[in-house]
Amino acid sequence: MTPGVTPGRLMLMAYVYLVLIFVLAPIVVILPMAFSEPDYLTFPPEGFTLGWFGEFFGNDRWMTATVFSLKIAFATSVVTVVVGTMATYALMRGAGRIGTLFQGLLIAPIVVPHIALAVALYLFFRQTGLSGTVAGYVMAHAIIAMPFVVFTVAAALSSVDATLEDAAMSCGASRFDAFRLVTLPLILPNVLSGALFAFILSFDEPVISFFLAGIRDKTLPRMMFDNIEQNLTPVIPAIAVLLTGVSIFVLVSAAILRRMAQARSIPAEEG
Amino acid sequence: MTQDDTAAGAGISVTGLEKRFGMLTAVDDLSIEIESGEFLALLGPSGSGKSTVLMMLAGFEVPTAGSITIDGRDCTRLPPQKRNIGMVFQHYSLFPHLSVIDNVAFPLKMRGEAKAARRRRASEALEVVRLDGYGDRMPSQLSGGQRQRVALARAIVYQPRLLLMDEPLSALDKNLREEMQLEIKRLHSELGVTVVFVTHDQGEALTMADRVAILRGGRVQQISPARELYERPANLFSAGFIGEMNMIPAQWDGSGLLLNQGDRLDPPAAALVGRVPTGRATLAIRPERLRVTAADTPGALAADVEEVVYAGAGTLLIARLADGTEIRARVPSANLPRLREGERIGLAFDPDALLVYGEEAAA
Amino acid sequence: MTLVSFTQPDGRNLSKAGITLLMAPFFMLIGFAFLYPLLSLLSISVTEPQFGFQNYERILDTPVYGKVLLRTLWIALLVSILSLFLAFPVAMAMVSSGGAMAVFITACILLPFWSSVLVRTAAWAVLLQRNGIINEGLQAIGIIDGPVRLLYTQGAVVVAMTHVLMPFMVLPIYGALRNIPQDYGRAAAICGAGPLRSFFEVTLPLAMPGVLGGFILVFLTALGYFITPALLGSPQEMMIATLISQQLREFLDWPFAAALVGVLTLFVTAITLVFSRVFRFDRMLGGQL
Repeated sequence: MTPGVTPGRLMLMAYVYLVLIFVLAPIVVILPMAFSEPDYLTFPPEGFTLGWFGEFFGNDRWMTATVFSLKIAFATSVVTVVVGTMATYALMRGAGRIGTLFQGLLIAPIVVPHIALAVALYLFFRQTGLSGTVAGYVMAHAIIAMPFVVFTVAAALSSVDATLEDAAMSCGASRFDAFRLVTLPLILPNVLSGALFAFILSFDEPVISFFLAGIRDKTLPRMMFDNIEQNLTPVIPAIAVLLTGVSIFVLVSAAILRRMAQARSIPAEEG
Repeated sequence: MTQDDTAAGAGISVTGLEKRFGMLTAVDDLSIEIESGEFLALLGPSGSGKSTVLMMLAGFEVPTAGSITIDGRDCTRLPPQKRNIGMVFQHYSLFPHLSVIDNVAFPLKMRGEAKAARRRRASEALEVVRLDGYGDRMPSQLSGGQRQRVALARAIVYQPRLLLMDEPLSALDKNLREEMQLEIKRLHSELGVTVVFVTHDQGEALTMADRVAILRGGRVQQISPARELYERPANLFSAGFIGEMNMIPAQWDGSGLLLNQGDRLDPPAAALVGRVPTGRATLAIRPERLRVTAADTPGALAADVEEVVYAGAGTLLIARLADGTEIRARVPSANLPRLREGERIGLAFDPDALLVYGEEAAA
Repeated sequence: MTLVSFTQPDGRNLSKAGITLLMAPFFMLIGFAFLYPLLSLLSISVTEPQFGFQNYERILDTPVYGKVLLRTLWIALLVSILSLFLAFPVAMAMVSSGGAMAVFITACILLPFWSSVLVRTAAWAVLLQRNGIINEGLQAIGIIDGPVRLLYTQGAVVVAMTHVLMPFMVLPIYGALRNIPQDYGRAAAICGAGPLRSFFEVTLPLAMPGVLGGFILVFLTALGYFITPALLGSPQEMMIATLISQQLREFLDWPFAAALVGVLTLFVTAITLVFSRVFRFDRMLGGQL
């Protein structure tokens, strides 16, 4: 049916615009505050300065936290992708009942609230001496990011014809070489897109960061939390501007990578 | 058929109907008068505008020009829910979350009937389509043909005066389709409702409809009863669209036809379709009107056999005239002499099988 | 719960050893950093300070903690209902609009998604402060005379959480609506149903699984949510997540905190299993990217 301009439709669109304003307003309000001069948060922003960005980059504690978070995010991304791709590949090459177990455990971290995992790990890491270590954070974040990576890789693998690997092996390649030289290049855009998503998820992750943090080893989200709670200055909007910009950039790249994957893949044919 | 106020079918008047989508004109200055109780088929290739016309009759599309009058009432801009007509969709569109009886009773629910009353009437409608007892099933439990009948029941349950059908049988297999064609015809004669039926299958149109309207490029090529459409197509497009037709180029000099290979024919005056100016013309004849004779039979067309395709009761002969034009004949297999490739034969015909189209008739 | 179809039509399979080798790291990771810590935590709740369910009994017997649980349920329900009223029309507009408008709406909905929760929560802290825009706006219109306390209230938590979680409901509802063939609406119309009746009789029932899935997703996420209540809520009106944090970090009462975690986790898992049919994780997750 052609959506003519009926009163019903006008009302719907008016309502939807209001909702969109509600959704966007906080972001639109806080981002310009990064450039405001006073050290309390006011809207509309007064003056114009890039000083708060300087405050962020020049501050030792902020920078340490950022570097820490970057390390964790990078490592999380690598670990999640490697472990996830291996497991997904095995799943789609005849995993049987182990595969069912895998799927069940995979979505458990989605069902269980993050705070439950955070508290459990807080205590567990204290017992095992992993508190405050990069490894500890990475394990936690990898578990949370895993389902997303697995779904992306699984979707990619199912669109790649499995007989391509067979063809490679019949040419004398080992299973590993067949995967490395044939399958992997074809699923690479999706794998990278999953890696980027895991990176962002880890870098922004607030709950586990909050509970696992000690005095010295704070992640960027944890420092932001403290700052918001205790002393909200325009540094937070400045960080928000940076984070939002980076997030958008990263996720647009991920989308582009996936488009590339779709353009390149030859659809799997029915046997 | 005369317009009768007590008749069960609506009279429809479509005048100057036009539908434009931006630069594309889907329906162009279309006018049809549909009699009360008539079964009209809208036939045409895809893109001919037939579905768009139906959508405008239903009210799902609004014409950019022209008017639609149903039972004397101007319905051009009336929304579908107020038109009080029945419609059967190509994919049945039975509501999957409602049982069969609730599907059929749905229109009555919209008209505010009480539950008991509408269930009773729905049961009666199911009886008419011969599905009584199926009321409590869900659509997912029915076969394609059964779903189509439920869709029919839902369309007729409130006794509409106009029934629209959008290629309702195209999703069914051949045997089922023929069965449903008879079913729909039976319903039509029982109820006396006016039916507008869209199809791309010309065989279907010819068997089911009182009149067939051929559409092409948004315009009506011809509206005639089936027989007339088949035996006397109004233009070359209709001639080629309905059934098979041999089309032989020739020259018309005002009294006779000169074929390229030299034969001269004197068609009766009735063979001329429309105005035929002197000059280039087309001789048209149906394959089944040709008979095989000896090559030198007077009045017969001489042709060289190219292919003989045996098909049981009938045989298709593909031959070539001297100027290279392909000519096809469908003849009974019984008593057909064995023919060899390259053999010269004569194709004879009755004079009243001829049709002559002038150059401008190539619409 | 059905995930992505993991069956291949052909292709030679790995040996058992190969599969074990490739899946081992995953199982080790999830066993070490998920299963064991969680089970260990849950076991603490029933083994310390003594064996038994005292920690759980304490939750049920103490009115304060009972109120926290009820308040959490109430806030989560409120957030879900508000999100439904916001998300459903947006999803409808996305389905019925042309390409450009649909993309625009999607971008607007997803944009805040891509800035972290902390940023969005901070934004609400700014908006709701005593001299913030909302207070000033309300005073300007004349609804209130002086600044009203908006921040550190239950209302602030509800509004901010709705803001954060609402997009999670848009995508499942959009998916469900998009799967309804257009002809159903036409069939309803020709049967005499106006747009309103057509919506309630046909569209809504058919979209229900998606609606339900989105609703439960938001509800369960809101139950265990920590960041927003911690930053915008008042200490007198805690939700279960902030209570857990308090018990763990201020009072160092690990077993009790563990019991609270246990209650939350078991409740969430139970509801997920009960409604497992309406969850289509692959579609929902795929829609987020």
